[in-house]
Amino acid sequence: MWGILNIVNLAHGALVIAGGYLTWLLYSRWHVDPFLSLPVDAVALFVIGYALQRGVINRIIRAPLLFTFLLTFGLNLILVSVLLLLFTPDYRSVTTSYSGSRLELGSIAVPYIRVASLAVAILLAAILWLILNRSRTGAAIQAVGADRDAAQLVGIDLRHAYALTFAIGAAFAGVAGGLISTFQAITPTAGDPYTLQAFAVVILGGLGRVSATVAGGLLFGLIEILGQSTPGLGSGYANAIAFAVLVIVLAFRPQGLLGRLA
Amino acid sequence: MSATPAAAMPEGEPLLEVRRLDAGFLLIPVLFQVDLDIWPGELVALIGANGAGKSTLLGALTGLVRVTAGQVVFNGRPVTGLRPEQTVAAGLVHVPQGRRLFGTMTVERNLLLGAYRRRDPRIREDLERILAYFPTLQDKLHRDAGTLSGGEQQMVAIGRGLMGRPRLLMIDEPSLGLAPKVVDRVMEVVRAINHDGTAVLLVEQDVVLALEAADRGYVLENGHVVMSGRAGELRHDPAIRKAYLGV
Ligand SMILES: Nc1ncnc2c1ncn2[C@@H]1O[C@H](COP(=O)(O)OP(=O)(O)OP(=O)(O)O)[C@@H](O)[C@H]1O
Ligand SMILES: [Mg+2]
Repeated sequence: MWGILNIVNLAHGALVIAGGYLTWLLYSRWHVDPFLSLPVDAVALFVIGYALQRGVINRIIRAPLLFTFLLTFGLNLILVSVLLLLFTPDYRSVTTSYSGSRLELGSIAVPYIRVASLAVAILLAAILWLILNRSRTGAAIQAVGADRDAAQLVGIDLRHAYALTFAIGAAFAGVAGGLISTFQAITPTAGDPYTLQAFAVVILGGLGRVSATVAGGLLFGLIEILGQSTPGLGSGYANAIAFAVLVIVLAFRPQGLLGRLA
Repeated sequence: MSATPAAAMPEGEPLLEVRRLDAGFLLIPVLFQVDLDIWPGELVALIGANGAGKSTLLGALTGLVRVTAGQVVFNGRPVTGLRPEQTVAAGLVHVPQGRRLFGTMTVERNLLLGAYRRRDPRIREDLERILAYFPTLQDKLHRDAGTLSGGEQQMVAIGRGLMGRPRLLMIDEPSLGLAPKVVDRVMEVVRAINHDGTAVLLVEQDVVLALEAADRGYVLENGHVVMSGRAGELRHDPAIRKAYLGV
C-alpha cells in the first residue's frame, strides 16, 4: 500500500505490534481464538490508520520525503510509548492448545500455526489485489498514485484517498501482528524489524503493484532463510545479507526488480 | 488593443461567470482581475502565448490552483475556491493539458474513472455514447492507456472528461503534439460535443484553429484578459493577426 502513494511509513512496525497486542488482549481476557481475532485487528487498525492519516499525515502529504520520515518516526515513538503504558514492556505471547502441533510431511514437520499463517497471508494478498483492481476505491487509490492532479480532476478527494490507503495498509499490518503473536512473543519495541522488512519488500519488488510486492516479499524471505542456513553464518547475519542484496538491487534497478519507472 | 463590444454577449443568464479573479501559486501571482463569461451551449476559445496563464485559469476554476480574490459563479451557484471534487460534481470538468491519463490502467478504467463522482445508473450508456464519438477506441478498451498514440490518448482524455457529465467542458490544448490530420479529427469531435449541447471552453495556442471553431474568444496576456469578442472579429483583428499569426 505504501508503495502506491510513495508514503514511507516508519510507524509500520508499531501498527503491526498494536495488532499483536489486540489479539493477545482478546485471547488472554476472553479466550478469543487468535485467528478469529484477526478481523477485529483489521477493523481496529483500519480505523486507527484512517484517523492518523486524516488527522496527522495528510497535513504534510505534499511536503518533501524527509518530512514524512520525521513525522512517521515521531508517530512511531508515540505509538510505542502508548503501547508501553498500556501493556508494560513485558514479553507477551499467545499460547493456544494447538500451538505445539505440527503437520508431519514425511521427514519435515511444520507447525500448524505457520501453515495457517501462510494461508492467511495468501488470502490477504488476494484481498488486496481485489480491492486495488476490482473496486472503485482501488481505482481511486491507483489513480492518485499515478497522477495526483488528474485524479483530483476526475473528482477524487485526495485526503480521503490517502486516508483510505493508509487505513488499508494499517489494517493489513494489524492482521500481520495478530499472526505474529501466535508464534512469537511480543513487546512494544519489537516492531522495528517489520518496518525495515516492509520497506525492503516494497523496494525489492518495485513500487505500485501487488504482484511485485508479493514477489519482493518472497524473495526477501528466501534470502533471509538462505542467510540463516548457510554454515558458518549465524542468524544474526541474515538481516545483514538481505539488506546487502537490497542495496545492490537499488544500485542496479532503482525501480525495483519488477517495478516500472513512473 | 480594442475593448469588448457589449453587443457580442449572448442573451440570458451565463453558465459561468468569472469576476475580477486573482489566482496563482504560493509566492507567484499569475492571474489578475480576470473577467470571463460563458453562456450555455457556447464554444469559447481562450488564447494566449506560452505562460500567459491559460492553464492556471482552468486550474483556478476547478480548484487545483488557489484563488486569492474575485468570484466564480457556475450554474447559478458560487463555486469560488471549492475543491476539485466539488467543482467536478457541479459539472465543471477540466481536461488537463498533456492528457494526464492513468497510463498503466486500461482505457476502459480511465474512462470509468471519469464518472467517479457519479452514482447514477447511466454510466455504461454514456460510455457507449463516448465510443460513438471515438470509434477507434472501441477495440482498445482493454489496452493500457499509456500504450495508445498521442491522438488516441487525447480522445481518451476528452472521453474521461465527458464521463463526468459536464455542463461545461474545459479542454486544455488538445492539439498539442498531434499531427494535423489527427488535430482535425479531435476538433471535429469537440465541435460535435458542443453541438450536442455541452458548453466548451477551448484553450489553444493554435489561434487560427481555436477561433475557427469558437463562437467567441478571450485573449490572455501575462495573466490579464486583454481582448475578447466574437471569434470572427478576433480573427480579423489587426493586433491579433500581428501578435499571434505573424501577419
Ligand atoms: N505549479 C506551478 N508553480 C509555480 N508556478 C507555476 C506553476 N504552474 C505554472 N506556473 C507559472 O504560471 C505562469 C502561467 O503558466 P500557465 O501554465 O498557466 O501558462 P499557459 O498559458 O497555460 O502556458 P502554455 O501555453 O505553455 O501551457 C507561468 O509563468 C508558469 O511559470
Ligand atoms: Mg497551459
